[in-house]
Amino acid sequence: MSKKKISLSEEELVLALRNREKIAIEALYDMYSSSLFGVISRIIIDTPVAEDVLQETFVKIWHSFASYSTEKGRLFTWMVNIARNLAIDKIRSKDFKNQNKNQELENNVTFIDEQRNTVYKPELLGIKDLVQTLKPEQKLILELVYFKGYTHVEAADELGIPLGTIKTRLRMAIQQLRKHFN
Amino acid sequence: MEDIKAYIESGILELYVLGDVSHAEKLQVEEMRSKHPAIKAELDEIEHSMELYAAENAVKPNDHLRDRILNSMLTNFGDDNNFPSKTAPLAAAKVVALPAPKVNSFFKYAFAACLALLILSVAALINIYNKLQDANTQLVALNSTNQQFTKTVNFQDQQLHIYRDPSFKVIQLSGTAKHANASMLLAFSPAKKKVIIDMADLKMPENDKAHQYQLWALVGGKPVNLGVFDKSTSDSVDMKEMKSIALAQAFAVTLEPKGGSVNPTMDQMMVIGNF
Repeated sequence: MSKKKISLSEEELVLALRNREKIAIEALYDMYSSSLFGVISRIIIDTPVAEDVLQETFVKIWHSFASYSTEKGRLFTWMVNIARNLAIDKIRSKDFKNQNKNQELENNVTFIDEQRNTVYKPELLGIKDLVQTLKPEQKLILELVYFKGYTHVEAADELGIPLGTIKTRLRMAIQQLRKHFN
Repeated sequence: MEDIKAYIESGILELYVLGDVSHAEKLQVEEMRSKHPAIKAELDEIEHSMELYAAENAVKPNDHLRDRILNSMLTNFGDDNNFPSKTAPLAAAKVVALPAPKVNSFFKYAFAACLALLILSVAALINIYNKLQDANTQLVALNSTNQQFTKTVNFQDQQLHIYRDPSFKVIQLSGTAKHANASMLLAFSPAKKKVIIDMADLKMPENDKAHQYQLWALVGGKPVNLGVFDKSTSDSVDMKEMKSIALAQAFAVTLEPKGGSVNPTMDQMMVIGNF
């Protein structure tokens, strides 16, 4: 019975979260866990670690909800930034780096494959199609900034492209997405 | 309007939605959003499409995760529910509120301690003041006793000195017919030209303020003034030295107006004695 998904409008959900209603927690998870996990699991390949970060994300959303206001934009934008920051903090943390260095030899093939993101994941199939509608350079910049946790400054460095160009490409990529969704 | 268009095309709004802006830029975008509906609309569009993009990219987490995560959020739910208002402002208010009573109670206790100390000090001061008063009274009493002793010793010393001196002759002056009870002792040293009367042995009625006793020496039948003296209770312990004279046949005392007279008033003669 707990499998029954709860869905509310964004306004209802924000109000319920603000009033600390129990139902808000379930609705929040059911409505956004997949989208947030999509972002987290693209930044962190290791699933158990990504799951930990998803948990941290929800706990943080719940505890710091008072700092969210609808004037600052959509709820999802606020939440996805929390998720992305926690994920990036995790992969940059000392623990995580050490853990990666200590991978056993026999696991290395799959590990490297995962790092290169070449593992077949059926749930990502839809995205691949979508991303095909983007030009390769738009796709790359969106990958780096949205899924790899690069700042646009780091992306410019990495690709050897001027900062202005990065910004323009990013904008074009998102424009493309807007067209696609409309 | 051109500025706003350029601002939109700069790509800053996309970076803002991706959380890739500095704090200053973030505040700037938020200000622009509240001022310009065009920017607000553009941001809504970007946010909406990124949300849809994320939904397209969604990865459903493992089912077991749902219970785990909901439980970890609900762990604190009971605690949160005990506070009717929102957690964050409440916690902030509490942090502010907690130190305040501490400070208050500190000053309260400090003030009480000061007050107690003050009362104690005043009590001690009163006690010590009383003791000091007692000591002062005793000191005054001792001093006056001491003075009395000194006086007595001095007098006795003088007396002893005079009576021991062989050059002094002691003359008893006896009362006249009118004053039969009067008498006095007088020491006379012709060698040292000194006349001393013993006030302790003076037996005469007390003189009033307008009169004084005057001592006369009779030299060749003529009275010579030797000075005045008083008879009073306080002055009674003394050896009083009168004016000097080398020769006298007799001594007499008369009662004269205050300050003495040039010639003795014979009918006021008290005592007389021959040398």
